[in-house]
Amino acid sequence: MIAFFVNFPLFSIVLCLLCAVLCALLKGKAARIVSLSLCGVVAVLAFCVLVYGLQTGAATEYPMGHYPHPWGNELRFGIAEPLVALVFAVVMLLCLIGGKQQLDVDLEPGKRNLYYVMCDLVLVSLLALAYTNDVFTGYVFIEICTIASCGLLMIRQIGRTTLAATRYMIFSLIGSGLFLLGVILLYGVTGQLLMPSLKAAIAALWEGGQYRTALLSAMTLMTVGLAIKSGLFPFHLWMPDTYAYSTPASAGILSGLVSKGYSFLLIKLVFGVFGTDVFYGSGVSNVLYVFGALGIIVGSISAAREKDVFRMIAFSSAAQIGYLYFGIGLTPALGMLAAIFHLLTHAVTKPLLFLAAGQLGEAAGGRLRHTWRGAAHRNRTAGLMFSLGAFSMIGIPLTMGFVSKYRFALAAFERPTLLVVTLIVLAVSTVLNAMYFMRVIIGIYTPVPERRTRMTLREQRPFAVSSLLLALLNLSAGVAAQPLVLLLERGLSLL
Amino acid sequence: MQGFWEQVWNVRIPIAAVLLFAVGFVTLLLHRNLLKKIIGLNIMDTAAYLMLTSFGYIEGRLSPIIQNGNTDPALYGNPLPAGLVLTGIVVSVSVTAVLLALTVRLYARYHSLNLDEIYAMAQKEHGLG
Amino acid sequence: MNQVLLLSIVLLPLLGGVLLALMRRAEKRAADTAFLSVLALEAAAVTAYLCLPDATVRLFSMTDALTVSLASDGISRVFLAVGAYGFLLSGVYATRYMARGERQASFYGWMLFSLGALCGMDLSQNLITMYLFFEAATLLSMPLVLHDRTEESIRAALKYLFYSIAGAFLALLAIFVLGRFTTTLDFAAGGTLTADAAAHRTLLEIVVFLGVIGFGAKAGLYPLHGWLPTAHPVAPAPASAALSGIIAKAGVLAILRLVFYIVGADFLRGTWVQIAWMSLALLTVFMGSMMAYREDLFKKRLAYSSVSQISYVLVGLFTLTPSGVTGGILHVIFHACIKICLFLVAGSVIVNLEKTRVSDLVGVGKQMPITLFSFTIASLGLIGIPPASGFVSKWYLALGALDTGIPVLNWLVPIVLLVSALLTAGYLLPITIRGFFPGKDFSAPPKTDEGTAVMWLPIAILGAASLLLGVCSGPLVDWIFTLVAPLV
Repeated sequence: MIAFFVNFPLFSIVLCLLCAVLCALLKGKAARIVSLSLCGVVAVLAFCVLVYGLQTGAATEYPMGHYPHPWGNELRFGIAEPLVALVFAVVMLLCLIGGKQQLDVDLEPGKRNLYYVMCDLVLVSLLALAYTNDVFTGYVFIEICTIASCGLLMIRQIGRTTLAATRYMIFSLIGSGLFLLGVILLYGVTGQLLMPSLKAAIAALWEGGQYRTALLSAMTLMTVGLAIKSGLFPFHLWMPDTYAYSTPASAGILSGLVSKGYSFLLIKLVFGVFGTDVFYGSGVSNVLYVFGALGIIVGSISAAREKDVFRMIAFSSAAQIGYLYFGIGLTPALGMLAAIFHLLTHAVTKPLLFLAAGQLGEAAGGRLRHTWRGAAHRNRTAGLMFSLGAFSMIGIPLTMGFVSKYRFALAAFERPTLLVVTLIVLAVSTVLNAMYFMRVIIGIYTPVPERRTRMTLREQRPFAVSSLLLALLNLSAGVAAQPLVLLLERGLSLL
Repeated sequence: MQGFWEQVWNVRIPIAAVLLFAVGFVTLLLHRNLLKKIIGLNIMDTAAYLMLTSFGYIEGRLSPIIQNGNTDPALYGNPLPAGLVLTGIVVSVSVTAVLLALTVRLYARYHSLNLDEIYAMAQKEHGLG
Repeated sequence: MNQVLLLSIVLLPLLGGVLLALMRRAEKRAADTAFLSVLALEAAAVTAYLCLPDATVRLFSMTDALTVSLASDGISRVFLAVGAYGFLLSGVYATRYMARGERQASFYGWMLFSLGALCGMDLSQNLITMYLFFEAATLLSMPLVLHDRTEESIRAALKYLFYSIAGAFLALLAIFVLGRFTTTLDFAAGGTLTADAAAHRTLLEIVVFLGVIGFGAKAGLYPLHGWLPTAHPVAPAPASAALSGIIAKAGVLAILRLVFYIVGADFLRGTWVQIAWMSLALLTVFMGSMMAYREDLFKKRLAYSSVSQISYVLVGLFTLTPSGVTGGILHVIFHACIKICLFLVAGSVIVNLEKTRVSDLVGVGKQMPITLFSFTIASLGLIGIPPASGFVSKWYLALGALDTGIPVLNWLVPIVLLVSALLTAGYLLPITIRGFFPGKDFSAPPKTDEGTAVMWLPIAILGAASLLLGVCSGPLVDWIFTLVAPLV
């Protein structure tokens, strides 16, 4: 039985594509049901693949179309890939459930099904990015992901959102263009596209000192391309508008998942293509470290200065992406582990924040911080969930955010020369995080004399259910992080 | 000196491609006009495809179609890049289409193609928030 | 059995807090009853615990290195007792003090939550657990400051939160670094540094220094003291009392655990770190007294006084000598007793006379004799006039400072303590004097009821305790010396 699980990654990808086509033909409500169940099924499939990975204890290379190694297209999965896919599918499901109220408002009645087409496409590209073993396939799905995410954005038909979508497209295309150029350069030098063959070729060339410039440029281009796409400083400027003006479900999916998909691909590339020796020996990692650190600080400062709460959360995303690359750049073992743990933390936390912020914004009737006074009294669930998400972002113990920070600090010791810098960056960003999130929390819990109608639990059942689940995920992984850390440790060793 | 120029000549196409890429990149990044940005994007993509195609072409070899029953691979060029370029072109077309659709929408709303102007108008429209 | 009791000491207030949160709409009487019975039960549990042997409870592990577990020792008994009894007395007082306001249940609930977090901190077995409850104490006591929901209280709460979190993360930095250089983060008298720690002396010194500054935020140690005089007076008087008298001591406990149970006194003795800490604490002692002397708002004056007095404790700890640390711990007990009493008096004055400024307090002794008499006794204790309690603790503090052998500081400490005592007299005694001797042109208003026994009795008990603890301090001092002996 378990041996059959080996086919599930391919099944889940094909299933997503089929559902996308199907949703295009269905009516809005049916499309929603199809998409939601798709997310559920994909999560179950990913879980099965995870079980398979744990059972075999090795990474599996799954050839597609029966062509042998250097020519065919392949999938590859160990433990980290299905785990990430599982989290992606679950979080997407919860985003779609939790954002239902605003989706009903934001989606044009006749075009609802199209939104779900885009969701299915985003899901398929995330899965493909997680599972693929071929860099060119990676590129293709990066572009599919870009287009689909743009679709998720522009579904909300206000001018600012269209504008945000345009900017998002432009930045994304710069990123994918650079990535493509990098892939082509690598292909030109090595003649390979499959990751394992590339890795062997690169290692051999690097050892022999041949094509150093070309390899270095290719590596830089691909890294920078992915970094731009996930919004690393100084290319984070598209983020605030993109996340802040889209419907909360889209904001959650884009910030929590899409940008993480690119980062995860980079992590895969570092292990599976560049090789840690080359990547960390060449200094590209240091560039990531520096820009990651700058991103953390600049993102946090921008967030602290922001009056619009949605933009504030978006800037905080920029800082969190900074954390990711900061960890990747730090060290290959513990730093990478911290980064991938943070990836999951952020994937679980940010959607919670955006969903709760969407609800609170509705209750407050505005986007600016000062209009949010007392919003938590009108919508208790949302207030509570927002606070919880904020606590996790700050890194209060018992949340996943705390474990993330702890992992980063542990990683800092692996590189004593950067120890002080790393710890200072962590400390500064934490204090800034605390400052701007706490300001909002205090604001929403400040009672205001005129009481508008209070939201009942029944009116917001979808949100309550999904946010509760997200919160539970966050807390359970924060209280008992050890199993997850072990799982990721094993996963990283198989990448 | 002869050797240097010969080397440059050998990589003339990648160099041209990189130059073209840079032109496209800068256009995409710096121009404020949306249409020019899209053109820049297309130049950029084309440059990438030029480079990819150049890897498929090997001086003095035949096109990768079996001719006269001769199956010795050393006779033929590399067929794979052509396939990749085709895929790439499809991607680039769809991306361009999406961008154009967005542009149409923005133009219909703001009657401008200048991103700065549009941004200013959008900000006015929604206030600060 | 022991373990159950240990766990219940932490859980009881927390569950009580949940209970009161659910009683939001209940009548005030029911809320009062629930609140007081939880506090009484807690006090009973703590009393029982004072006589029982030590125990350990392992709760759960976040990761292998981060376990959350509870254990008890002598130090935790001291802090538990201070916390439980202090909260009981302020709680009894609160039932009357809060009578006129609204949202009593939520106030009681947050009081209980704070108490629970404090008990958890007292009973922590390792640095991680303590840090966890330290953060919890910050977050759970913040609503006390916020209770009035005025602009001022929100700003004060924000300031409190910001300072506390900044401090906590400085401390977290130290914890992370120490995690690398210690054999275990479990508390052990004398410290748990690894053999190679000495090779990284500078790094360790810096982070431990910063860690103590961070935890010191809670105790109002310079330079992170700014929030204390803003936040403490904003809360309702019983909460101010708890914040100043008990919750601020959480910072003291954290520093005590970090310095003596993780790093070890030997590692720090005579280093620049010790000198810097002592100088900062001395500066805080002097500055706090000065500010208190110049402040006219009654509660704010008391808050400044807390800044100064808690730094007495810290001076004691930083001497790293047996007498100094003993003096510090004694001062924790005495100051808690005295400061709760003083804040409750301030509350009575606010409720019964509706006066908030010291300059308006003329003839209070005529209207509320018991209250002001207790105030006077407690003031004498704080100033340190023998045989009141403050004298005993300050005596050992001065002895400890003289024992350090650090040039200049060893004689500067007693002098600053003396000057500060004079200032303390300067800012407390005028209230007594003008209260009892208002002058000729003062026409005595009718005597008030001092807010019934529910209000004046806790004040009187605390006033008497502050005197009695000093008079019969012999056994207490001996016991604390035995607790401190393995540490230094």
